[in-house]
Amino acid sequence: MRRRGGPAAADDAAVIESSWREPERFAVLFDRHAPHIYRYLARRAGRQVADDLVAETFLVAFAKRDRYDLGHADARPWLYGIATNLVGQHRRDEARRYRIRQAAAAEPAVPGHAERVAADVTAQAMRTLLAEALAGLSAGDRDVLLLIAWEQLTYREVSRALAIPVGTVQSRLHRARAKVRQVLAGTDAGATYKELTTNE
Amino acid sequence: MNEMELLRELAQQTPLPAPAELDAARARLVAAIATDPATYAAAVAQVTTDQPYPATGEPAGPLRPPAPAPVLTAARFMHAGAVGTAAYLIVALPFIGDIQGKMLGYPLTATPLIITLVILVGVAVIALWLWMAHAISQGKNWARILSTVLFGLATLQLLGNHGFVQVFFAALTWLTGLPAVWLLWRPASSAFFKSAKAARSLPPSQISGP
Repeated sequence: MRRRGGPAAADDAAVIESSWREPERFAVLFDRHAPHIYRYLARRAGRQVADDLVAETFLVAFAKRDRYDLGHADARPWLYGIATNLVGQHRRDEARRYRIRQAAAAEPAVPGHAERVAADVTAQAMRTLLAEALAGLSAGDRDVLLLIAWEQLTYREVSRALAIPVGTVQSRLHRARAKVRQVLAGTDAGATYKELTTNE
Repeated sequence: MNEMELLRELAQQTPLPAPAELDAARARLVAAIATDPATYAAAVAQVTTDQPYPATGEPAGPLRPPAPAPVLTAARFMHAGAVGTAAYLIVALPFIGDIQGKMLGYPLTATPLIITLVILVGVAVIALWLWMAHAISQGKNWARILSTVLFGLATLQLLGNHGFVQVFFAALTWLTGLPAVWLLWRPASSAFFKSAKAARSLPPSQISGP
């Protein structure tokens, strides 16, 4: 039984179904979602790797399209799930990327006006801490956290994307957020974070 | 501001890609679609529906993915090369004796035989441009390789030219060939040639009914 959501979302399932008989219809799905999938992959693995991974994501999706559950009108969680699995094959690259980001952020700011320098230092300090926190998370926890924080997926959509129960999504998110908070608050630069959170 | 908002702020450093950045990935998907057995099945169904005579159950000809933008542009450059060569032929014909004389180092009379030979060579070069343009549009990889080799020869020829008209047209030809060859080796073009080859090699037995 097909669930009908918004017009665009309902289209995804219809497009995949029609691609069973007319494969060229699958390109519609690429045009619709590739920019966001690319951005997600670029955020996690870097632009250079994302070029290749976005193509791989849609090739895998195309090959598996006959197994797509038409009950899910929106194909985004399915595509994010495939993309996340592919990122999993580049875990080492991803961890290195976060470390590079940490190192880059730790460099001193270019001298300038005092306020701007202070703002730069604060932003860089926060980025350093976030990169450190992300690098320290387990792969599963990081997948959940980033799909929700960056891609704005709901618990249910993440559950579909990663093929795990909603309860597991919630517990992983809870754990990941706690670890990130711990890293942000547990260092010298964490004072900035405390200030920010108390000013909410 | 909590950690989720901080993460979103971090994510905003990565903007959405420009459409051109996804060209190569799209070409790979289109290539996969073109070689999918279901594409053949759909084409067979289309052919059998369209044909006014009893269908054989096989496609009318080998299917291939549509040529991507770089290949189409390269073909346009090759058409321009053909036009340039024709223009050279027209401009150079009245001066054949002069040009030949300069090349050989002594005065030469433009006999009908020499004029005929020059025209034949010119027409052959024009035909070569058009043939290469047609073949690369069809996804023939040998045409891509041959075009590159011919461009290499054109580079050598460019170095051996004398006289303004000859150098001008040789440079024009070379400058037409350069972007064409560069475009033929772009990732999207490579994916197209690869998939076109795969599409040609797919046996009819892989075609399943709708």
